[in-house]
Amino acid sequence: MADPKDVHNDITVLPDGLHVTAVGEETLLKALGRAGLRYRVGCKRGGCGVCKLHLLAGEIRYERPIAESVLSDDERVEGICLSCRAVPLTNVVVELQEGDRLRRVLGFLTTPSKGKP
Amino acid sequence: MSKVIRLGYVHLRVTDLEESRNHYSNTLGMEVVASEPGKLYLKCWDEWDHHSLVLEEGGVGLVKLGYKVESAEAMTEFESRAQRFGVTTGRFSAGENLTVGEGVRITLPSEHNIELFTEMEYAGTETGAINPEAWPRNVRGVGTHWIDHALMPCEDPGLNERFLSEVLDFKTAERVVTSMEEPEVIGTWMSCGESPHDIAFIKGPNGKLHHFAYHLEDWSSILKAGDIFAMDDVPIDIGPTRHGITRGTTIYFFDPSGNRNEVFAGLGYRVQHDFPTINWTVDHLAKGIFYHARELNDAFTSVFT
Repeated sequence: MADPKDVHNDITVLPDGLHVTAVGEETLLKALGRAGLRYRVGCKRGGCGVCKLHLLAGEIRYERPIAESVLSDDERVEGICLSCRAVPLTNVVVELQEGDRLRRVLGFLTTPSKGKP
Repeated sequence: MSKVIRLGYVHLRVTDLEESRNHYSNTLGMEVVASEPGKLYLKCWDEWDHHSLVLEEGGVGLVKLGYKVESAEAMTEFESRAQRFGVTTGRFSAGENLTVGEGVRITLPSEHNIELFTEMEYAGTETGAINPEAWPRNVRGVGTHWIDHALMPCEDPGLNERFLSEVLDFKTAERVVTSMEEPEVIGTWMSCGESPHDIAFIKGPNGKLHHFAYHLEDWSSILKAGDIFAMDDVPIDIGPTRHGITRGTTIYFFDPSGNRNEVFAGLGYRVQHDFPTINWTVDHLAKGIFYHARELNDAFTSVFT
């Protein structure tokens, strides 16, 4: 089996079309954070649902069970996912919640690439 | 003073029991005193009853809170007052909760489940009751002393305040109101003894948990707790800082399922019978909650389990 560290999945973040890379077992939120981007952060442990994203393409898995009260079956069907617990299995395209933007907190260190989604 | 003695137990849902065991036992320093399939019972070193925390695997958030009451007579009186107030009550028998005697179950106007009980098996503190040392040498991690209070969101904090006051004889130590002229209650911190709060409510969705808190000795213990959270990768919501309301020093942090915990040092004043309730107007809410930053973070009003 390949070393998990060799697994790289591209995350496209709409609406801005930013690209970041998730390495190995990294969650979506962690990959954004490593790229110097801050999204809505709640409990970071899958309990509150503050960091929900819309998964438009690709596949994810959850590193821990997620409570039904946090993410309902209907939401799962719609493609809503919890970014703090979702690990991409393929390249993915996600969309922020309406009106949301990522904030650049490490802008002086990194410039995430911007390309066509 | 109320015939309710204290918050006796918190019964909490967690998504992963083993991760939670590690958090509550090794990081916070509680002792696992009993276990059943899918459930753990824990107590802090400075507590004398059998347990103060029940962890149940499956989901997140609060199952119920148990408050210990002085006597069976007082419990019956509380029950009939609750019925007159118009909320749902019920009885549970001895042994339904491990080592806990019979009691009264009350659903608050805010849909939170409260259990009143008078008996729980006595276990004794870690240091004992005869010539005790100041603290046990084998204490782990943060070394929390006891579970102190819980804060829940609810749609109508004013109604809950009236319930706790009229039915259970709690006294309002502090509250947040829209304005002094039209005092709609936005938040309420209520005491059954002399501590600044044993239960509290702020405006938000019914039935959920904002946090429950552990008492620590002082500000330096809060700082050390923060260090331990950094070492153990515990997500911190805010702090170390101070609350304006209650004057307590604090860290808000999350357990491995996202339930918010607090370490709290501060018995900064005593809520005596004639204590004048402190009012905060909502324009000063941020300072009341986080005294130094004077800004609410998004999570304070949006993260519940």
